[in-house]
Amino acid sequence: MRRQLITARRPGGQHHQSAPQLSRSIARHYLLARLCIRGKTSSSMAPLLWSKISAVLPPDEDHFTLHFSDTVEASVVEMLKRCRRRLYTGAPAAERLLDAQIVLDFSWEKLNTGTWRHVDKEWRRVYSYGCLFKVCALCGEEPSEEDLLQAIRTCDMGLLMGAAIMDDRLQVVVQILQRQVRKNTENNDGREHAEAKRIKLAVPEVPEIREDLKIHRVKCPSLESFNKNYLLPHKAVILEETIDHWPALNQHPWSLEYLRSVGGCRTVPVEVGSRYTDEEWSQTLMTLNAFIDRYILKSRDTSPDGATPIRGYLAQHQLFEQIPELKDDIRLPDYCCLGDGDEDDVTVNAWFGPAGTVSPLHQDPQHNLLAQVVGCKYIRLYSPEDSDKLYPHPSQLLHNTSQVEVENPDSERFPEFSGAPYRECVLRPGDVLFIPVRHWHYVRSLEQSFSVSFWWS
Amino acid sequence: MRWFGFGFNAFGQIHAADLTIDDGTPNGIKVITPRELKCHVDGSCCKKTSGLRASWSRRASLHSNGAPSLCLAGFNAARGVDVTGCTDALIGESFLVLAFPDRFESWHMDNDEKTTPVWSMEIKTTSDSAGPSLNLPLIPDGYIAINPPFYLPLSPHLKATRLAVGAEHSVLLSASGAVYTWGLGSHGQLGHGGLSSEEHPRVVEALWGMTMSSVATGGWHTVCVSDGGDLYVWGWNESGQLGLPSRGVRSGQQTQSSQAAADNTLEEEKEKDVFISIQAFPALLDITPSCEVTTVGCGSRHTAAVTTTGDLYTWGWGAISLSFAQVSTVSWDMKHRVQTCRTMWSSSQNNRCVSSMSHVGRGILLPL
Repeated sequence: MRRQLITARRPGGQHHQSAPQLSRSIARHYLLARLCIRGKTSSSMAPLLWSKISAVLPPDEDHFTLHFSDTVEASVVEMLKRCRRRLYTGAPAAERLLDAQIVLDFSWEKLNTGTWRHVDKEWRRVYSYGCLFKVCALCGEEPSEEDLLQAIRTCDMGLLMGAAIMDDRLQVVVQILQRQVRKNTENNDGREHAEAKRIKLAVPEVPEIREDLKIHRVKCPSLESFNKNYLLPHKAVILEETIDHWPALNQHPWSLEYLRSVGGCRTVPVEVGSRYTDEEWSQTLMTLNAFIDRYILKSRDTSPDGATPIRGYLAQHQLFEQIPELKDDIRLPDYCCLGDGDEDDVTVNAWFGPAGTVSPLHQDPQHNLLAQVVGCKYIRLYSPEDSDKLYPHPSQLLHNTSQVEVENPDSERFPEFSGAPYRECVLRPGDVLFIPVRHWHYVRSLEQSFSVSFWWS
Repeated sequence: MRWFGFGFNAFGQIHAADLTIDDGTPNGIKVITPRELKCHVDGSCCKKTSGLRASWSRRASLHSNGAPSLCLAGFNAARGVDVTGCTDALIGESFLVLAFPDRFESWHMDNDEKTTPVWSMEIKTTSDSAGPSLNLPLIPDGYIAINPPFYLPLSPHLKATRLAVGAEHSVLLSASGAVYTWGLGSHGQLGHGGLSSEEHPRVVEALWGMTMSSVATGGWHTVCVSDGGDLYVWGWNESGQLGLPSRGVRSGQQTQSSQAAADNTLEEEKEKDVFISIQAFPALLDITPSCEVTTVGCGSRHTAAVTTTGDLYTWGWGAISLSFAQVSTVSWDMKHRVQTCRTMWSSSQNNRCVSSMSHVGRGILLPL
């Protein structure tokens, strides 16, 4: 696992109720430009949106429970009750927005006090309620396009930083909002197509893999065979032809256009910097559209003085919990059921970025099945038995990460590294790499890449 | 002395909400222009206020003329706690700590049946003092915290004269003018140059050789004033609370425009400007070239300073530097005391908004 987020992130492993399947009338619409801000929508659409949102909220104040432990002071609960009361009495949206913002600001400070792990879940719940009230205030009266996008961002903040409230109500609401945005862009569309640029894809520099260092490949082994030959002996292997049935590799290829259409306006965490061990490395939040524009498309040009562009990487993010359409495009590998853990406890992460993203050599406390969907990655594996030659960081924060730059090692500081045995590969679309628990791995993308990782025990 | 307040008022802690919305904000939730404070819990109190303490949702007015006592305003303020004889207080969101001549007491504000304090401690009167030295939260041999445990010891070697407590750290001013900090350092608020925590008070070496005369803390930042009137700041700057360029402030200003424009300009800004989100070493902040700072106070994410010419400057969450000289039409007493209390929020988009008080924070109630 990478370095813990300094900005808050929802801890993994939380059992997630999937959003109810509402009818999806989404046209498969390949937008090439980002969603255009059009200003106010027609007034006939707004009450319809609000009726959809209020349909998924409690019918009245009495059914809208606000219950918190003693951690949350009575004055804060009073503020929340005020928000609730004014929601159902139909107070002006501007005032309700202020009230919600007060709740958000107070709880946000609690979320930033102490270490993230120790933040009381009650404050994260308060934060989520604040988000919900804010969204209601934004969408109640004639929301403009900007209001809608802000509401979606607010839902995402609640999903990322808050804790599930009212049966994951924010997830339900954000789906409604996203559908509305898609509908609006369909109506507004027209000239977006014309802006499609023919972008020349650079031919990636693929490193030569030595025959004696290659990671073994096997075609679709049976569960029994995988268990016996690879899982139990903790032996790394590349599984071929095991994800060919994924919609992501068939009817819904994950092009940039498709990703924008299913989740362009959603807020995601992005790692900025060459690698997470660097001082300049940081994490930030932005919409998927902004990430694609800034770090996928732009990174194809070098900056005027020829310097290396700053890399952005959508890494280690549970995107599939956030965007159910993408979850439908993948399948849980059967091999995950061979472990001790529950199927529900499998952590699924998205890894989406331009060429040149690097994950420094590190180890994880769980098994990993790394599925490659788009583009190629160069991967190197070291055994945990050789950890002494890999110079892990002494600090607590980075103790699972090696100090060595794998493809440019400092042999003076790290003399034993060159003697450590390793295996390597170029992982291509359709491949799934099994990384046994605690096996050190180094990953560099060779071109624009999208991988899906499954962490299980 | 006259007291003014501005900022968050949803619980009527600045003034009772009335129907005349004369400050431009809906239902009086924010007080934008400073309003004179009246002590008016039961409408009959007309004693002079000698001191003020505030939390996010409440205000306590201290009366020291005649029989000392205090009055509470704000959330659930009417439910009484016996405060006769109280000489000073500390108020938090959950607890109220009262100082009496012979003891300290802590009361739980949310507990409806307030019959007994949840904690109390006798004051050991030493031979060379008539009563407790009231410099709360400092008391002899330690200090009072606003949450349990209410008493924390301090080594007498430190010779503490002033103490301020932030969300996760504490700052102490010694008799020699040295500044000590301890607690969590994840936002650079300790001023030692890194992000690590300190379990025990550690001197801020960057200020060595300079004599500081006052210290104040926000939620995650620290400020201090030297005896020459220079202002030093360090810690978190996400809302501009250090008065240094803040990316958070810049992108917040741009959220007003469309998302697309915001993304673009942010990209351009990045290449030109240097933003500081965490300042781990003390930095000298020049507020105005012409005069010095006399006192300083902090909200959880904003800072305010009073200069020798009697101007109040605020910066941070909700307000960019603003001089209040034009707002106030009364003359300023040269001896300004800025009390740090809690006040509230405002929109960081509105540069013109004078009510710069951060949520949860300590804000400023000004004496005149």
